[in-house]
Amino acid sequence: MNIPEIKELIQALIDSGVAELEVQRGENRVRIVRGGAVQEVVVTTASAAAAPVQHVVSAPAVPAAPPAPKAEEGLQTVKSPIVGTYYAAPSPGASDFVNVGDSVKPGKVLCIVESMKLMNEIECEVSGTIIAKHVENGQPVEYGTTLFTVRPS
Amino acid sequence: MPFNPDLVRAAFPGRRVDFYKETGSTMTLAAKVHEDGAVIIADSQTGGIGRYNRPWHSAPSDGLYFTVVLRTTPLPVLTMAIGLAVQEAIARYTGLHCDIRWPNDLLANGKKCCGILTQLHEERVLAGIGINVNHESFPFELDAIATSLRVETGRTWPREALLIEVLNSIEAFLRLPQDAVLAAFTQQSSYVRGRRVAVELNGTEVRGITAGLDANGYLLLDDDNGRRHTILAGGVRPCS
Repeated sequence: MNIPEIKELIQALIDSGVAELEVQRGENRVRIVRGGAVQEVVVTTASAAAAPVQHVVSAPAVPAAPPAPKAEEGLQTVKSPIVGTYYAAPSPGASDFVNVGDSVKPGKVLCIVESMKLMNEIECEVSGTIIAKHVENGQPVEYGTTLFTVRPS
Repeated sequence: MPFNPDLVRAAFPGRRVDFYKETGSTMTLAAKVHEDGAVIIADSQTGGIGRYNRPWHSAPSDGLYFTVVLRTTPLPVLTMAIGLAVQEAIARYTGLHCDIRWPNDLLANGKKCCGILTQLHEERVLAGIGINVNHESFPFELDAIATSLRVETGRTWPREALLIEVLNSIEAFLRLPQDAVLAAFTQQSSYVRGRRVAVELNGTEVRGITAGLDANGYLLLDDDNGRRHTILAGGVRPCS
């Protein structure tokens, strides 16, 4: 189960007014609980090899939309400016442009989103630290998909 | 024949035209160039790149390897418009009609003779174009997939005149509205409809039949299980 699917579920929860939702798809189970201030989304996988909790994503309270991961004040998100395919590294087998914990400055290339062979270098606009990478290498992204969360310094 | 950049400069007065006998990649040089329409040409590249940093064979004196800097709105179909522009320029200049593999590889007899890589870099589009012009043959590992205008037409071509033709054609195609680009592409590419192809989607190979372009120019694919996919990025290839 990927981030867009989880976002869809969060939206479904908001639209329906239901307080809690649990969905099992294959080995993945998602439980979304709507609280007063934050929503909690926990994705677990039944696979023994993987860590029991893959993603913990918090989203702002209803009716704020779209549900972007923003657990603490002042965090900045980097969103995709176009529909395309996300690449974490400049070439297959190369190291990722950035990793969680890396310090970044304005102009630092964070990833590439390819749309019809137009390679869009997504650059950081603030100085800070990468605290989350939201998309897997090779995954399709939509316009506005959150790619990174940065804590400005 | 050595490349004479002055012929190109004379055809486009006021335009920046840089020529390098040898360089790593024109894309790297173009990243530092800001003038709209500037052209960075190399007679040979030691590190020519294609999509996703794959190497591009850039033999000295045989090909046209250049990057055009465009301060233009990067419509998604821009990359298709550039492919169409190069296709038309080659057809007009040499008489060779190439097929276009979505979104912009030019093929002659099923082999690639031109590759195009576009990068969005600091508000500019860098359009890197490699055309195999006067290559007599290719290294063994490329022989089955690459061809040149010379191999296909049986003669050599002056690269300066071809480049001038290509640059004029790019200017004309970039003025077209999106629906005109999509209509031209649908007409010119055998890959748009009814073509059996394989493509990597989200890490998995999907095989199926192409089913036209959507309103934004993305390629539609009906897979073997009857599911429709929208192809966002390159990597489409024919399959059994």
